[in-house]
Amino acid sequence: MSEQQHRVRGVDHVAYPTFDPAGTVAFYRDVLGFPVVHSICAAGWGPERHPDFVHFFFDIGNDDRLAFFYYFGLEPFEGGPQGDAYSRFAEDVPLFFIRSRHLAIHVDNEEDLLDYRRRLDASAWPVEMQIQHETIESIYTHDPNGYMIEITRAMRPVTPQEDLDAELTIDALVDVVSGPDPSMAALLARKAELIVERAAAWQEQREAALP
Amino acid sequence: MTTLYVLDVPENVPVVEVADRAPDVTVSRIGPYFEITAPGPIVIDRRATGCRHAVWYSCVAALRGSAVTQQDKDALRVEPA
Repeated sequence: MSEQQHRVRGVDHVAYPTFDPAGTVAFYRDVLGFPVVHSICAAGWGPERHPDFVHFFFDIGNDDRLAFFYYFGLEPFEGGPQGDAYSRFAEDVPLFFIRSRHLAIHVDNEEDLLDYRRRLDASAWPVEMQIQHETIESIYTHDPNGYMIEITRAMRPVTPQEDLDAELTIDALVDVVSGPDPSMAALLARKAELIVERAAAWQEQREAALP
Repeated sequence: MTTLYVLDVPENVPVVEVADRAPDVTVSRIGPYFEITAPGPIVIDRRATGCRHAVWYSCVAALRGSAVTQQDKDALRVEPA
């Protein structure tokens, strides 16, 4: 575990470009009901022939924000038939890779999740998938820019032992990717060594800390 | 000897229970992990566990001297490496 103090306070904003600001506002403000909380209209400046632009922000809860840049006169860039407004991919790039980068927004419970499902299903951007894993439930769609959006709820709180397991997994991963032949088998073998070294002591410390 | 570790969280408990039904399987604990051992292969029937995809395909925490030789919709099979 890192000895550094953990001082950050969540997402200030994540920013994406859009070529469809009207669709973007319809999706986030009018369909999902995310308030517009900030915007900047700026004349282009600098050496890169920067176009005039509008930078606008939606509140995604918890005072976190999802922001967009719209550049006047800018046309989408080439790059392949798949992807979104920011990244285009060739036909042979697999979907699991393209979908790996996405934004997941948290809701507290099933009622809230289903409320957003209803909002999306009544719109031009209905839910494409609703998946209930054993520990989380999520709905997915793509916004007007092609960005995949997930809304998710936890089915139960994360347990302390899952935090330990994550630490051991990541320490094992860092070790095996430094080696010659990274694989799941190598990771699971390294993780077994870390479990033998650290898991019993972790348990004893937890039990000692209990009142 | 086959040694398989499974984290003790509610979703994984059926995996351990099903493994434990085999006569030569021993289940013990190391910290918050179940340590499942057997002299030969450990085979766990997925349908008997009731696990769906997310838990089933992520239930193996670690392996000592062992290798997964099957992990599909039917079964998880771990054998001495």
